[in-house]
Amino acid sequence: MQYKGLVACRAGVGSSLMLKIKLNQVIKEHDLPLKIEHGSLDAIAGFNGEVIITLSDVAKELVAKKLKQKIIGIDNIMNKTEIFDKLENFFDEETAKE
Amino acid sequence: MLKDLTSEKLVRLNVDAKDWEEAIRKSADALLQNGKIKPSYIDAIIKTVKETGPYIVITKYVALPHARSEAGAIESAIGIATLKQPVIFGHKKNDPVKYLFCLSATDNDSHLNALTDLTELLERKDFYELLDYAKKPSEVIDYIKNL
Repeated sequence: MQYKGLVACRAGVGSSLMLKIKLNQVIKEHDLPLKIEHGSLDAIAGFNGEVIITLSDVAKELVAKKLKQKIIGIDNIMNKTEIFDKLENFFDEETAKE
Repeated sequence: MLKDLTSEKLVRLNVDAKDWEEAIRKSADALLQNGKIKPSYIDAIIKTVKETGPYIVITKYVALPHARSEAGAIESAIGIATLKQPVIFGHKKNDPVKYLFCLSATDNDSHLNALTDLTELLERKDFYELLDYAKKPSEVIDYIKNL
């Protein structure tokens, strides 16, 4: 299955854009079944994918909103191991659902 | 490209800042003085950090202060500031902050290539060393031009 993810932050022009760049590197290196869209938090309302990826502080805010998507918060956007581990965790949870 | 969005005038080395707020204000000042942002843009950055937390601290020692374009971005630009003494932002993994790249973006995509360059630089040890030892802004800009 191919999943859809949204990378978002408050403004949608800085941190999340850099996060998107690193995420796409990780997705490509590991050939992960995830397609990334990008936007500000406003984009969440119209997003119908499975996972939202953002910076940890923003993730806390989103978890409190009880959205239907899985929320992943990244602490260090340059840490590809952290990004990969958290994505793996998401895929494992999705697989367990099937 | 990063070299198109920054310049010697936007580099401030060895800045004195007593806390995170002053560090943001001083790193953004170069953009303000050069007509890249309005004063309201700086207030918006500070407000966002107070509301959401220090998520602009994107990796160890590095902050990317920025806000929404509507908050007062005039022209896309990236400022580079280094602090004499690192300051605490309250980030659970990446504190303290020593390097600030203040970003002004007038739309969502024109600066994508510049940020791609920046992510590459943030992986390079010699770039951090350069920031630590550079005496003049031209040294930093020359490095970026030769990417």
